[in-house]
Amino acid sequence: MEKRGLRFYADIYRKILVQDLKSKMSYRADFVISTFGMIMTNLSGFVTFMILFHNFPTINGWDYYHMLFLYGFSLVALTPVQCFFDNNWNLRFMVQSGDFIKYCFRPVNVFFYFMSEVFDVKGLGQLAFGIGTIVFAWIKIGIPVTALVILKLILFLVTASLFMIAIMNFAAATCFWIKGSGYVMVIMFRFKDFAKYPSSIFQGVFKVIFTFIIPIAFIAYYPSLVILTPDDVPVLSWIAPLFGLVFFYLSYKFWMLGVRKYDFTGS
Amino acid sequence: MNPKRLLSITRAGIMEALHFRLGIFVTLFANLIYLVLVYYLWKAIYASSGSDVVNGMSFTDTMIYLILATALFNFLEMFVVWDMSRSIQSGKIVLDLLKPMRFRKYTFWSYTGNHVVQFVLTFIPTFIVVMIVTKGAIPMGLNLLWFIIATVMALLINYNIEMMVAPICLFTESTWGINIVKETIVLLLSGASIPLAFFPEKARLIVSYLPFRAVYDIPLSILLGKSGSDTWSGLINLFALQCAWLIVLTIAGNLFWNHAVKKITVNGG
Amino acid sequence: MSNEAVVMKNVCKDFKVLNRHEGLKGSIRDLFSRDYKTVSAVKDVTLTVDKGEIIGYLGPNGAGKSTTIKMMTGVLEPTSGEILVNGRTPYKNRTENCEHIGVVFGQRSQLWWSLPLIESFKLLRDLYMVEQKDYEEMIELYRSLVDIEPILHKPVRQMSLGQRTLSDILAAFLHNPDIVFLDEPTIGLDVSMKSKIRELILGLNKEKNTTVILTTHDMGDVDALCKRIVIIDEGTKIYDNDIEHLKNYFGSYRTLKLKHADDSWEEMLIDEKTTDVMDVILEKQKQQKIKDVKILEISTEEVIRKIYEGGAK
Repeated sequence: MEKRGLRFYADIYRKILVQDLKSKMSYRADFVISTFGMIMTNLSGFVTFMILFHNFPTINGWDYYHMLFLYGFSLVALTPVQCFFDNNWNLRFMVQSGDFIKYCFRPVNVFFYFMSEVFDVKGLGQLAFGIGTIVFAWIKIGIPVTALVILKLILFLVTASLFMIAIMNFAAATCFWIKGSGYVMVIMFRFKDFAKYPSSIFQGVFKVIFTFIIPIAFIAYYPSLVILTPDDVPVLSWIAPLFGLVFFYLSYKFWMLGVRKYDFTGS
Repeated sequence: MNPKRLLSITRAGIMEALHFRLGIFVTLFANLIYLVLVYYLWKAIYASSGSDVVNGMSFTDTMIYLILATALFNFLEMFVVWDMSRSIQSGKIVLDLLKPMRFRKYTFWSYTGNHVVQFVLTFIPTFIVVMIVTKGAIPMGLNLLWFIIATVMALLINYNIEMMVAPICLFTESTWGINIVKETIVLLLSGASIPLAFFPEKARLIVSYLPFRAVYDIPLSILLGKSGSDTWSGLINLFALQCAWLIVLTIAGNLFWNHAVKKITVNGG
Repeated sequence: MSNEAVVMKNVCKDFKVLNRHEGLKGSIRDLFSRDYKTVSAVKDVTLTVDKGEIIGYLGPNGAGKSTTIKMMTGVLEPTSGEILVNGRTPYKNRTENCEHIGVVFGQRSQLWWSLPLIESFKLLRDLYMVEQKDYEEMIELYRSLVDIEPILHKPVRQMSLGQRTLSDILAAFLHNPDIVFLDEPTIGLDVSMKSKIRELILGLNKEKNTTVILTTHDMGDVDALCKRIVIIDEGTKIYDNDIEHLKNYFGSYRTLKLKHADDSWEEMLIDEKTTDVMDVILEKQKQQKIKDVKILEISTEEVIRKIYEGGAK
């Protein structure tokens, strides 16, 4: 497929995005309400967080500002999945109704074509909220600002978001095999709420599960340690970018396998 | 309304829910993992606090509360709003409205089938696991009966909230937006994500009079014998609050819905 | 270059489905059941379609039409047998195959729901990497065949079903594919829209020599578009020849219409080889008064019905 390289895909995505944004402007009420909803969820998450700290000043040795950093980090890491991969939520309905088949008739990658259809602007509100939280915690903790640290932060934010995307790809693709698997997505999306806590709270077999099988420990904890404790970074943090790529690739393959194996009988 | 007919709709709902068999097992499994997450988080939180009881809630109390809140959440979850917006888009709503039954009633009873399945498959197993693990921390007595009554009330209140929200989605063409606002408010203010006992004093006072509390907090408090439900007067207070909200929401929901149907039939032509 | 657009050799497709049981008890039993059965949707179909042909691919509901089309478009892999579309195995080279085919699936729009048609066209132009010159030529051709102005700037979601189908057909031809698959393109449309769409398909086929594989339940489509038809039933090909041949085959059949005293029409199909039409009329007349008589040649619709009901071998 040299003919349709990265540039081709980037170009197509940009064009679809522009058209999509244009047409979204016609649903202004939806846009305003959805943005409000997004702010509400973030606020509610924040309130829950505050109530928790109101009752318990430290969690597993982590104080308020360090926890706040983790919290902000997880919010930013969740933005890409929200913005670019939101169509995963529609997958099971499309598959069930048989409408999914339309994505298979174009001379482009099915995964790309499917995801390109939805760009979710609302995620940007979350991004702003997350960045604000990180900056605030950053100043309070007093982490030095150098180009290298910023670079590390960006690299590891991207890494973290790869994990979240992969988790949602896996969860969404279950619908190719399992009818009524919508709940898997719902609960996986709820798992992410636990990403903002230090994963040192898990023990034994569950530590392994939440690190390597449902890798929520990689959505905020391991990547952010690179910034928070630069003198004592675990090996897992360093290999996170590589591991993230592998995990994302596997989820993509799993998704595509679902497309291949699916009967397309729903018609 | 003929009870036999209601029963057959419920039965169809049960069969439909069972149709997705693998989905059910996966759901059970995913729930279990979720419970493990909740367990570790709160264990760490209590371990860090140094005291066993915080705001009148011990670790066991909190665990039971949150786990059963999750189970209750799964059991109560309805997709009325989503179903409705999809059926409006496809034009199926006209068919639904034509069914020889009031739409609200029809929806309610067809969901009841799903509720029954969810109750048996998620709530009861979770409840039994919690009972065994906590070795009898849940008081066993009349409170179980009160809990069931309170849960049915919660279900009705929840349904009415859904039915209030659904028409707003239709007007604003913003299903996701309205739904997320609703869910966030309900989850936070009903005590499903963090027990209301941990809320600061003033916030707790305000929240305790809102209808959302009636959905999760009241049934669970009754089950655990908290919030004064261990005395008759306290129990009656809680039920009175549920009743009051149920009446208000049913009337408001009815008015709102009837108004909305007119709009739908006009627009959906 | 060969002259065949599609070659199918002994193609079979099986599905595995769970045996479901009836009733509430059955539902609970199904939760744990391992009781699968294999359903053959397509059985040993061999078929050749020449370039530039319009063929009607017919069959009753659930006969395996859609499954065949899904295999030809590369969405499904055949269980056994060989398929070549433009010389490629569609399943193995899905994206490449897609570049040279166009698909319209009944009432399912494949266009971007909220975009005006012209924007969808432009995106498709880029997706298929169509040269600007060819694209403009195609739009000009469209203009000469149908009145596209009223829909060009309309978002698809605001279109009527007819306009949407029209748009989908135009979109399927935009990249000048070698083959276009049309799955029930006229379903649910009014008479004038149907004829508009038939004219369009004919026009595009003539101008671009595009092969068209059409599935439909509307014999009007078949009469207007197809010279050759293939009929499939229960996954097996039961007829593959010209329509004319089909009519000749059933040439001895006549539709007899009798008008009774109460102005109602009675219709019957008679094979002249075995029964004489005049005998039937005489016989009927003995029973009751007949006001009017019509004898018609068999229509395609009746021929097809006859075949579905198991009349031909």
